[in-house]
Amino acid sequence: MGYEKILENIRKKAAKINRPLRFMELCGTHAEAIARHNIKSVLPKNIQLVSGPGCPVCVTDQEDIDVIVGLAKAGIPVACYGDAAGVSGNLGSLEEARRNGADVRIIYDVSEVETPAYRTGRHCNAFLRTRKKTIIFWGIGFETTAPATAWAVKNGMTVFSSHKIFPPAMEILLKNKKNKIDGFIDPGHVSAIIGTKSYEKFKIPQVVAGFEASDVLLAVDMLLDQIISGEYKVQNEYARLVKKGGNKKALELIKSTFDIIDSKWRGLGTIRRSGLKLKKKYQKQDAEFIYKDLILKIRENIKTKPSACRCGEVLQGLIESTDCPLFGKVCNPDNPQGACMVSTEGGCNIEYRYEK
Amino acid sequence: MKNNFIELEHGAGGKKSEELIGKIRRILSYKGAWKNTGDDGAVLDLNRRGSINRTPTKYDRLVFTTDAFIIDPLFFPGGDIGKIAISGTINDLAVMGAKPLGVSLSLVIEEGFPEDDLMKIVASINKVSRETGTPVVTGDTKVTEKGKIDKIEIATSGVGLAENIIPNGGAKVGDVVISSGDLGEHTAAILASRFNYKTHIKSDSKPLVKEIQSVVKYLHSCKDPTRGGMAAVLNEIAEKSRVKIVLDEKTLPFKKEVVAISELLGIDKFSFASEGRFVATVAAKDADKTIKILQKYNREAKIIGAVERGHGVWLKTSIGSIKRIETPRGKLVPRIC
Repeated sequence: MGYEKILENIRKKAAKINRPLRFMELCGTHAEAIARHNIKSVLPKNIQLVSGPGCPVCVTDQEDIDVIVGLAKAGIPVACYGDAAGVSGNLGSLEEARRNGADVRIIYDVSEVETPAYRTGRHCNAFLRTRKKTIIFWGIGFETTAPATAWAVKNGMTVFSSHKIFPPAMEILLKNKKNKIDGFIDPGHVSAIIGTKSYEKFKIPQVVAGFEASDVLLAVDMLLDQIISGEYKVQNEYARLVKKGGNKKALELIKSTFDIIDSKWRGLGTIRRSGLKLKKKYQKQDAEFIYKDLILKIRENIKTKPSACRCGEVLQGLIESTDCPLFGKVCNPDNPQGACMVSTEGGCNIEYRYEK
Repeated sequence: MKNNFIELEHGAGGKKSEELIGKIRRILSYKGAWKNTGDDGAVLDLNRRGSINRTPTKYDRLVFTTDAFIIDPLFFPGGDIGKIAISGTINDLAVMGAKPLGVSLSLVIEEGFPEDDLMKIVASINKVSRETGTPVVTGDTKVTEKGKIDKIEIATSGVGLAENIIPNGGAKVGDVVISSGDLGEHTAAILASRFNYKTHIKSDSKPLVKEIQSVVKYLHSCKDPTRGGMAAVLNEIAEKSRVKIVLDEKTLPFKKEVVAISELLGIDKFSFASEGRFVATVAAKDADKTIKILQKYNREAKIIGAVERGHGVWLKTSIGSIKRIETPRGKLVPRIC
């Protein structure tokens, strides 16, 4: 179906429903796709697309950032994905630590840490070639990236896990009565791992969508259909990648590597059974265990800096980035005050880059 | 969180690079009789009083440029650091409308660097030098202790002469925007080789003198989209010319593989660098002629947009919306050139 046709359907259906509708997208890549194609500008006025807590770097708790920066500053080499290095805690960011001499490497793929090429410094500076200490890989993200970290653990790497699982956050969003949501655009990448079954318990219209402009538009169209017919179900627009049962191998990797624990999310607070911690049998590779005394000391010495940043509310879709008093003034991608402005998947960063 | 240290972003060719160069220029404010000091090459009018005394000739504008290269990896599909180092400087002269006269070559080499690799790099430089008739006329060589730099760094400078300068700020309302071929293949090739992707994409690096000279009389503005890619250079043209540039998503000059690599790594394709392509603006009436000539060099040369009244660079998307393409921010891809 061409764009024109989908848009025409959307316009007709939106007019028929004739009330304001709020759809929340739950994946940083959706937020990016919506901004990249300026999809908001072609939708009818009564449809509002808001971003949820789908940016993994953004929802990572301040304390986790402080611990990993503290470890790097104490001289322990750290490897992480790009956006994670830029996000600042009370001790600054990993990037700042690197500028002051800490050994911090940005990787795209966790296997880079252990490949011979990496060891001989093909990817990195000369001084890294002589490294002796074991690198900590900072595992961050949802079910999408957790399997790669699990693979790393199985291959003997040391890991500090800030991984989270996604569905518990959706439950919290739905419980918050202040947050009126008419439908979810479920995350494409996460769903590829966990499947569509996991969402069936939520009583709200949902569509799992891909990341092309037509995917997002079709998802909106399908959500409107559900609203018109008064039903709620999980529809799969991204069937070319997402299966009902998900990716069994990846799920098995996660299950056999991590225990599910309570976990703190920026903006959403502590969510029961939403975090992933290395199983006890891997504790010799768990940075939290290896460096527990040092981590205790780092935590004790943290002095929380006050900030007017409203990242937490942005992440819940309660306010728009532009409602934050810091947005676009002291807070911009070159001088971010909060995680949502650091990560390229963060709501504020995207808003700043595309809609300024 | 404001700090005063140089960050990788300062070298990425985006907003932060602009800011840093601005700060340096405020200190180095003495420019003498040189013009276009913010363009790809600086220009000295040799006939102008206060420059040098000589008999007036047709090619009377001296263009001077310099560039430094820190690529990782040094060898990649489609070229190596040597080819880039000489082509980059020749291209900076070429996009100003100049024919290169000669270049200099400075090598800073890490102790322990294989001599064979060095000679391979020098041979690539020689090849481009001969092809373009641009002799390497002077140079310098330094060696540092192991670990002080990463393998090798190369700096080149070049001088050329032009009849007419093509300024970065020369785009006019009513012009069309052309690209000399598909863009972004240099960054795509470097990334593919860093991450061991299997792809047919090769670096597009090559000297541009002949191509540009063949259409030089039609070009109102011209830049090679190296660091920061077409997002950076089109914004620079739009800003310096005080015009708006509108691109059409349907005619974007990107190959499928380039788009795939950009999406796989989450790096904006508009910021992907080319090392052997240029984008230019020409009067609409000259567009077909220009494209026809350029297609002799590269079949993918085409019109990619239009110059209008206003400001900024904009994209008409395939769903009918309009969105802005900004000068890239952030680290982009380090060490591509």
